[in-house]
Amino acid sequence: MTDIGALLDRIGGLGARRRPLRALAASGQLGYGIPEKAFRAGLEQRPDFIGCDMGSVDPGPYYLGSGKMATSPAVTRRDLHMVLTGARRLGVPLILGSAGTAGAFPHLEAALDIIRAIAREEGLHFRLAIIRADISSEVVKKALRENRLRPLGKIPDITEANIDACTHIVGQMGTEAFVRALKTGADVIIAGRSCDTAVFAAIPQLLDYPMGLVMHMAKIIECTSICCTPGGRDAILGLLDDDGFVLDSMNPARHATPMSVAAHSLYEQADPFSVTEPEGTLWVDNARYEVLDEHRTRVSGARWQPATRLTVKIEGSGREGERAVLLAGSCDPGFIADIRTILKDVEEVVRSIYPGDYRLYIRLYGLDGVTHWASPPTVPPREIFILVESIAPTAEQAGTAVGVFKQYLLHHGFPGRFSTGGNIAFPFTPPELEAGTAYCFRIYHVMDAEDLASLFPIEVEVV
Amino acid sequence: MKLTDAARVIRSKNAGPLTLTIDLMFADAGTYERALAAPSLSPRNLATLYNQPVESIHVIPYPAAFAIKLVLDRKIVAGSPGDTDVYGAQQHGPLLEVEI
Repeated sequence: MTDIGALLDRIGGLGARRRPLRALAASGQLGYGIPEKAFRAGLEQRPDFIGCDMGSVDPGPYYLGSGKMATSPAVTRRDLHMVLTGARRLGVPLILGSAGTAGAFPHLEAALDIIRAIAREEGLHFRLAIIRADISSEVVKKALRENRLRPLGKIPDITEANIDACTHIVGQMGTEAFVRALKTGADVIIAGRSCDTAVFAAIPQLLDYPMGLVMHMAKIIECTSICCTPGGRDAILGLLDDDGFVLDSMNPARHATPMSVAAHSLYEQADPFSVTEPEGTLWVDNARYEVLDEHRTRVSGARWQPATRLTVKIEGSGREGERAVLLAGSCDPGFIADIRTILKDVEEVVRSIYPGDYRLYIRLYGLDGVTHWASPPTVPPREIFILVESIAPTAEQAGTAVGVFKQYLLHHGFPGRFSTGGNIAFPFTPPELEAGTAYCFRIYHVMDAEDLASLFPIEVEVV
Repeated sequence: MKLTDAARVIRSKNAGPLTLTIDLMFADAGTYERALAAPSLSPRNLATLYNQPVESIHVIPYPAAFAIKLVLDRKIVAGSPGDTDVYGAQQHGPLLEVEI
């Protein structure tokens, strides 16, 4: 059982004379394959705890909506095996955040199944704290009625119907939940949707290191060696004292330089100077980055401003419909030149033959399938790729719409047509594919909360 | 000069599913200052380049890393039907043709 008192004794108690706390960040996205060599090098540094982030909102609404993991079971199992056996052998806490990609109930359960299976096979015994992040639709609807929800950007207005349409809603927990879990004496903590920082900040917060430094270090090491040059996914060691922290990548080829670490504040952040967490705001505008040697940088100066009002970011994803897609290409200059009119005409024919409640979204790769351009290309592309996405209430409707579209696009006549055998090339057959259920984010809001503990309940299990 | 000749990094990425952030990173103070002063990187020009209302564009200088951050609303919530770039990782394209 992890004893916080023992951890305090190991580092030399509270105050300036204690030795630095050693935090090993093993993975910023557990399940995609932790680079083994650097992780093993990290274990040799005798860390005081190991942290891993397992999830993100980046892969899109499908994972939260469907309850599925984005990472493969085999590699997730490999990575969990590595960190679980590593932490247990050293007898140090292991903290896992945002279980199973999106951190809702099914994701957490899937990760727990793997952890229990590894423990059985390896004969490991430990106290496991499980922190749930699911937020009931009733809690969100109450917050909506009480005007306690604010969107975190441009998103369709939130309504009770939108809330009910979500298959899963999660709140992003901060350090409060992890600190509570640590106080149960847990050796291993696995949490649903979490702030990436909280995974790495909870233990140093509990040991009373200055919160500005704690959060700044957590914010950097949660991405492992991405803050280095060249950046990468290798484990990184953060050494935290009461005046600053040192970043030491466990891959000797990745160097944390003052410039590379300072630049990391820009990464996937809308605001490079501050980071808002449930319990407060981290300010890095006065941070100092000093070279220690060619491999390591020392960081100091960040400030922590406790929140006057507790907030939780909530994420909700719901089914939008069933998706089918058509894949096709063309190298015909006349067809490419006329493509927008052709698509409009074909859609008109398709809708007259097969009317119904489906939506078609067409991307033209080679023209503007990836991004908007202010002006057309000076030279037309030699080839284009056409992706037709169809969203409908049922898979059959979505598939029928792209199936009819395929045939009429293939044989559509247009002025100046040479290629009367067919307008498009299919890479394989069938070129129209069922793509499963389509989801979309309906909730990406911040919710004022009176009490964090009731939102993120903890269960303790003796494995 | 072309932005691609001046910048070390021109990258885009989501900052959450509703926001796009673009980082322009320069090797030295000279090129950073030049880019910061360039009319082509004003919110007004960026609004045209990205087909967005000017009030949804923010330009944030970050001198500590000789970097300029651009922050934009995503036109479509990441991963919703019709999206073209779920991670927002290829929205730097229009900037590759810009002169500073």
